[in-house]
Amino acid sequence: MIRWWPLYGLKRKLTERKEYVSSVKLRLSTTAVFKRSLFVYVIDVGSSNALNFEISALEAPQYNIHRFGIYLTDSPRHADVLLILGHPVQAMMDPLKETISQLPRPFYTITIDDNPDFPDLGEYPALPNHIAAITGVPSPSEILGLLLDVAKIKRKRS
Amino acid sequence: MKFLFIITLLLYASGAVFSSKVRLSYIFSFAGSVSAFLTGCYALTRTLVLWSFPLSHNVALTLYIDHLSGIFIIIAALSWMALALYSIDYSKLYPKKRLSVGFNISLIGMMLILTAHDGITLLIGWEVMTIFAFLMMQGTGKSFERSFRFLAFGELSTVCLVIGFAALYSSAGSLSFDAMHSGSLFVLILLSLGFIIKMDIVPFHGWMRGIYGDIPDNTAALLSAPVTLMGVYGLERIIPLLPGNQMWEIIIILLGAFSAFWGGLQAAAADKIRLLPAYSTVENNGMILTAIGFYALAEGFGGKSLHYLATFALAASIVLVISHTLSKTLLFMSVGHAKEAYNVHTIDEARGVWSGVGRIPALGIVISALSFSAFPPLIGFAGEWMILETLFQSYRFPSIAIAFFSALAGILIALAIGLISFAMIKLIGYTALGYDHGRKSRPIPNRLMHIAEVGLESLIVLGGIGLPLIIVLIGFPQLLIGLLGIPAPLVLASGIPAFGVISPTFIGIIMLVLLIIPILIFLKNKKKVRKVDSWNGGIKLKETEFFTAPAYSQILEHILRGFYRTRETKTKTQSSIKVEDILIRPTEALTRLVRKVGEKVALILMNGKISAYVTYILILFITVFIIGMLVR
Amino acid sequence: MKVLIGIIATDEGERLFILNNGQPVLVKADGDNPERIYSNYSILKQHPSKINDEPMKGPGVFRFRYGPVTAGVREAGCFHLYTYGEKILRATIDISWKQREIGKAMQNMPPESALSMAERVCSNFAMSHSVAFSRAVEMSLNISPSLLTKNWRMLLIESERIYNHLYVIYKLASAAAQRVLAAHVSALFEDALRLNENITGSRYLMGINNIGKLNRTPAIANIQKIANGYGKLAEHFTELYKHSLTNYNYLDRLHSTGTLTPAQAGELGLTGPSLRACGVTDDMNDTTKHLISLPVITQKEGDALARMEVRAEEIVNSCQYLVNHLRASDSWYETEKKENEFTKADGKGYAVANSPSGALGYYVEVKDGKMQHVGIFTPSYPGMHAVSHMLEGLIFTDFPFVFDSFGVHFADAAC
Repeated sequence: MIRWWPLYGLKRKLTERKEYVSSVKLRLSTTAVFKRSLFVYVIDVGSSNALNFEISALEAPQYNIHRFGIYLTDSPRHADVLLILGHPVQAMMDPLKETISQLPRPFYTITIDDNPDFPDLGEYPALPNHIAAITGVPSPSEILGLLLDVAKIKRKRS
Repeated sequence: MKFLFIITLLLYASGAVFSSKVRLSYIFSFAGSVSAFLTGCYALTRTLVLWSFPLSHNVALTLYIDHLSGIFIIIAALSWMALALYSIDYSKLYPKKRLSVGFNISLIGMMLILTAHDGITLLIGWEVMTIFAFLMMQGTGKSFERSFRFLAFGELSTVCLVIGFAALYSSAGSLSFDAMHSGSLFVLILLSLGFIIKMDIVPFHGWMRGIYGDIPDNTAALLSAPVTLMGVYGLERIIPLLPGNQMWEIIIILLGAFSAFWGGLQAAAADKIRLLPAYSTVENNGMILTAIGFYALAEGFGGKSLHYLATFALAASIVLVISHTLSKTLLFMSVGHAKEAYNVHTIDEARGVWSGVGRIPALGIVISALSFSAFPPLIGFAGEWMILETLFQSYRFPSIAIAFFSALAGILIALAIGLISFAMIKLIGYTALGYDHGRKSRPIPNRLMHIAEVGLESLIVLGGIGLPLIIVLIGFPQLLIGLLGIPAPLVLASGIPAFGVISPTFIGIIMLVLLIIPILIFLKNKKKVRKVDSWNGGIKLKETEFFTAPAYSQILEHILRGFYRTRETKTKTQSSIKVEDILIRPTEALTRLVRKVGEKVALILMNGKISAYVTYILILFITVFIIGMLVR
Repeated sequence: MKVLIGIIATDEGERLFILNNGQPVLVKADGDNPERIYSNYSILKQHPSKINDEPMKGPGVFRFRYGPVTAGVREAGCFHLYTYGEKILRATIDISWKQREIGKAMQNMPPESALSMAERVCSNFAMSHSVAFSRAVEMSLNISPSLLTKNWRMLLIESERIYNHLYVIYKLASAAAQRVLAAHVSALFEDALRLNENITGSRYLMGINNIGKLNRTPAIANIQKIANGYGKLAEHFTELYKHSLTNYNYLDRLHSTGTLTPAQAGELGLTGPSLRACGVTDDMNDTTKHLISLPVITQKEGDALARMEVRAEEIVNSCQYLVNHLRASDSWYETEKKENEFTKADGKGYAVANSPSGALGYYVEVKDGKMQHVGIFTPSYPGMHAVSHMLEGLIFTDFPFVFDSFGVHFADAAC
């Protein structure tokens, strides 16, 4: 039987209802400008790939980030938040600086360092508007909670 | 009046005489062109015979001006003035004597053509123009053979004219234009063919490849704008005079439309900086030919609505002529300016004229290219709109076949305009406004070049905005109406009752208004501006990573590979794509044949043996003798 | 069949790390010309970080750079595509942007710390790296892990295979603009990661394996629920996948895109699903010879569609395998729980794991209980060479289908 794609899965309710509480402390005060929508640009400066997969998992229907107005952009020029993944490798420092220079104001930067004990690699340069620094590999729920906190987006009660 | 005309000729002649002082020679050309311009203005309102010299019974050399010749003299003179100014500066780089001689005398030839009233004067002017244009091409290029092809096509056109006029004499007994009303179909076909060949219509455009890139700038501009203008003038002169023939008119409509399409197609794939405008000439002249053919066709049918359409078609052809001559001269001058400053040959190499060479030549490229792309409110927009409107109204013809063919021509011309826009965008985007990658241009004398360029730029813009004035000056005030609140005579109507209307004047006014207010608002709210490099994956873009001009056209070359015969050659370290203009294959084949035959004949005749030479002379003598006896 | 995975420079000369009928073997390089026997010898010897770096010239040819910061391929890596318009003439892949030199960083570390570093070479292959590394160390130090450990390692590698294959199919569906399919596959991908967390406490199966033992064993109370989870995953995926194959547009984009011949695959030294999609039956499943082996899935065409089909079938097979063994866990779960003592402090060892993208090999030398020399040979390195060669002659829009269908990662290729 041929099933029509627009009807496929209509009966399935995949989006979960959770509060996405984040335990990450914000280093700067937030602005209400991003309350309606938050555009995130993701840059990988040397991660072990777990974080890249977590960002892909974040796009899954279970989290449904679009209902909060959170979008991943294709260009840093459209971004409100720069999400920097990975323990920095020296080669990626210049591209990182160039990416930061492309962000329109106001913007925030968030770093997620998945391998803080890695010996002899680079250090993050001085990042402007560095609102959160996470170590380890946070789950998509935690990342989503952090983004909701940063943008002061209204959460749906579970 | 006669005085002005004689002054013009004298000034050109002086230019030729003083050719050793090249700058002075061109200054004389400029003065002569100004005088020609004044002659043209004078001729707009008068019709008179300038001079008549009877040669024999029924044959007289007549020079004559009227409204039509006045229009064309003005248009040509504007182009000549700009070119003369350009050449004054250019002569510093290229101080060849034969160039200035050729320039001046070629202009004399053109002046003769524009004032001729009988076959012999026309032919004298025609030959003078062709031969001295050929003289201007000498000393350049890789082989003599390539510039000889231009001469061959020019002589082919002369031959057609000669045969045509001979036929006219045999049927009407006179070579004067007044006797043309009794000309036959044969006369019509041959004379129009002669003029069509001069207009670079396909397949008579084959001489362009291989030589256009090497000839001096003012020669290229001359060959493209004023010389083809002569072909158009010839057609506009004889078609109203000779009795029409529907079949021939449909043929030239389709030929013109196909030529326009082919010119646009090849221009889109052109990568040499001179070849793109050359093909654009083919395209524009195709559109003009279609307009003239349509005028003849509609006039032949008669009837009120078709008469209006015929007038509109004629106006379209003249507006296209104005737009083409001005824009093409400007384009060649600006492109030549860039080419000389950078010393390169391809579009890809000549990038960033705005920052690398100068704002004025870059603006020249932009404005002329936009005019060719039918960008309102420039005059090219008016011309191309007019020809399309003419063809849209083909339903007015009572005959379905004619309506069908006109619609077909309309399709081809619409495609042509699209393709030429594609080509012109390449020129604007890469050559005029592209990144210059730090290229250094050598300093060249350019003050007069700039004056000429600015003059033509203003004319193109003002010509568009002042279209109603132009329509009145060329003698068609009945085409202007007022509509929907826009006062008469600012609206140009393409049919009665109103079919389609434009008003570039009004577009210009609105653009100005819409420009002033936003600029004022913008200037009031000053925002903080931060400049960054373009985003390219985190690293600055190197020059080898920029999109190249051939890459821009490659997609079209791939999709239309049937037309272009696109071929790819790929090795481990090298890859390239080649396109071909298949309509020059006959020309190339003919060239090869001529070369072979010529070599063979030369081998037979000039083999060093005295006996062979004497035999050859004897045979010729006998042949001429026999022919002379027969003619008697 | 014999595949050269890596070249090792030891004190006793050069050694070739070979996979012989699924078993890792170390042979001497001197003697006959190794280049004649193994066509990928020179590539592995030079190990360029700029893959296929031969410039292309011609009128209008320019070098289009994609990377190192892009939104399409999120990892840090650069593609230099030589083109004269739409067609890719040559693709040079620069993997040096993510070079962290983990092998060197592991030196002088105790094996347990080096293990957690191995897991971070490419964390979506964390289990494969961990298993290969621990096997190599166990071989060098003469440790034999319990049957329980070996069983769990096998099962967890299959878990890893499931979510990685789901990720590849998700990327291919997104690239073909099949939004509904991509969303559903992405939901299954997230379910697979959650199942991983249920079993091991980590979504990427990190931190559970150790040298000679497991750090913790999964609680038996959850086993049946997890088995049911895998069962449902297989069911949903089969239904979804069958439906997606009825879409002509989707198939058209994958069919005949980036077709790899068996000869080319052999020249590059490819292993894994990309090789099996060309019709070559490899012996990767014989890497561990206990428990029932999984069937070897092959396809014939060698294009992106075949690579996707191989992966789809492997997902279902792995799910079935997990379900069967987890449901039957009563029978083998309670086997020996031996405590292992490290008897040796020096040694050399090598091992291979069947990672989702092919054979993943480790060579280790331990001295005084510390890592002396570690050689890491990942499947993504020959995979990147395959991507580079397959991109030639394609147009830009086919780029994601070739890159994603090989399942290679920059973090894995540039370790």
